[in-house]
Amino acid sequence: MIYIVSQENRRRFHHLLTEMHRQRKRVFIDQLKWRLEESAGLEIDAFDSEDAVYLIEARTPISDVSISARLLPTTRPHLLSEHFVDLCEEPLPTGANVWEATRFCPAPDTPAGALRRTMLGRMIAGIMETALLFGIEQVTYVADAALAPMAERAGWDVRRLGPPRGKGRDRIQAFAARIDGAGLKRVREAFAINAPLIRFVPAEMPRAA
Amino acid sequence: MPASTIALDFLDFCEKQTSADAIGDRFISTLQAMGYEYIACASHVDPLRPRPGGVSVLNYPKAWVQHYSEEEFARLDPVFHAACAMPGPFTWEDALANMRLGRDQKRVLAEGAAYGLSRGMTIPLRSPDVIPASCSLVAGPDGVDPLALAHTLMVVIYGHGALHRRLNPDVVIEPVILPRRERQCLALAGCGKSDWIIGQLLGISGRTAHNSIERAKHRYAVSHRIQAVVRAVFNGQIMIDDLSG
Repeated sequence: MIYIVSQENRRRFHHLLTEMHRQRKRVFIDQLKWRLEESAGLEIDAFDSEDAVYLIEARTPISDVSISARLLPTTRPHLLSEHFVDLCEEPLPTGANVWEATRFCPAPDTPAGALRRTMLGRMIAGIMETALLFGIEQVTYVADAALAPMAERAGWDVRRLGPPRGKGRDRIQAFAARIDGAGLKRVREAFAINAPLIRFVPAEMPRAA
Repeated sequence: MPASTIALDFLDFCEKQTSADAIGDRFISTLQAMGYEYIACASHVDPLRPRPGGVSVLNYPKAWVQHYSEEEFARLDPVFHAACAMPGPFTWEDALANMRLGRDQKRVLAEGAAYGLSRGMTIPLRSPDVIPASCSLVAGPDGVDPLALAHTLMVVIYGHGALHRRLNPDVVIEPVILPRRERQCLALAGCGKSDWIIGQLLGISGRTAHNSIERAKHRYAVSHRIQAVVRAVFNGQIMIDDLSG
């Protein structure tokens, strides 16, 4: 299942959050050689804050993480507005009903191929379910050459915000995906998902009266 | 309470408090409030025989500390060794994965883990004295919010400095800057050269070489030239590479 971790409940998810930041360090810094900062084995950037919503797939709040992603409000500085605005030929979609999805991070030992595509499909479904829950209508994201075609073919309604930049594996491009029920249905069909994936666990468990 | 508030309250407390014991207690309780269960902030020496004026604040299980001291584990502790080599905070898991550990070192880790000391993190500390220091932290059962890492570093680095200042209130460390000739002579002495050879190598008399080293000893207030070499290396007047010739 995919846990929604927000400011409201993040204190229940310290283990998953720590594991997510550890995996991000191993994937983005160690494997992909992105020039990011790390400390104590964790990759944490300027956009990680209590205002971000994290989607973390794991069996329980203390088990291994299989994939994670970060959703940022676009009403404040975010990755596209601060670092990749030149990827957009049209005005950058922002506002209270637009989120930015970043740091798609499969577990470092995830083999390439079908398993990785299936995990990405589940995460896209999780993003759409969460966005619908929060009344979000668009999700923007920047994808590299590996992620872009998989995300474009996932079934959601995606449009390119501008031409790609860079070459080969380093080629990146900005996209905006529309969030609606029909798109979620297509993603679920494409990845044989037959039940909601997201779970929101409150910070405090309800007590019996 | 947010980690930022907890950390800033601690800094404020340190500014107003003159008792090292009170700062030490608050150091432990502050880090516990951030989610850490076990904390050890100390020079890399036997925790039951700390150096005079050295920081030693820890809440590790007493039985483990006793055992650690009796077995002289400070000499072997791979976390101490990693703390001397790592440029910044590290998890034990990451650092130890890259080290070739001896059987005795593996024993230190295994026996510590039996006391709940596993999956920890260590922050290397720059100590004003010459003994390396670090702060090791083990999270409690609920873990620690990764966003609290920056505030953890703030508490540990500031707290260690505040403790050191309170424990050594009268110590004013004047920076020692050696003149070029003294640096050269001391570096060659560190390579094992005699006064006569140093003189030959530098084109000066053996007596001049001897006097240069004596002046350096005097600046560091030490009685033996090797002590002066060690001090000069630690405060960066001569480089460790200068001793390899």
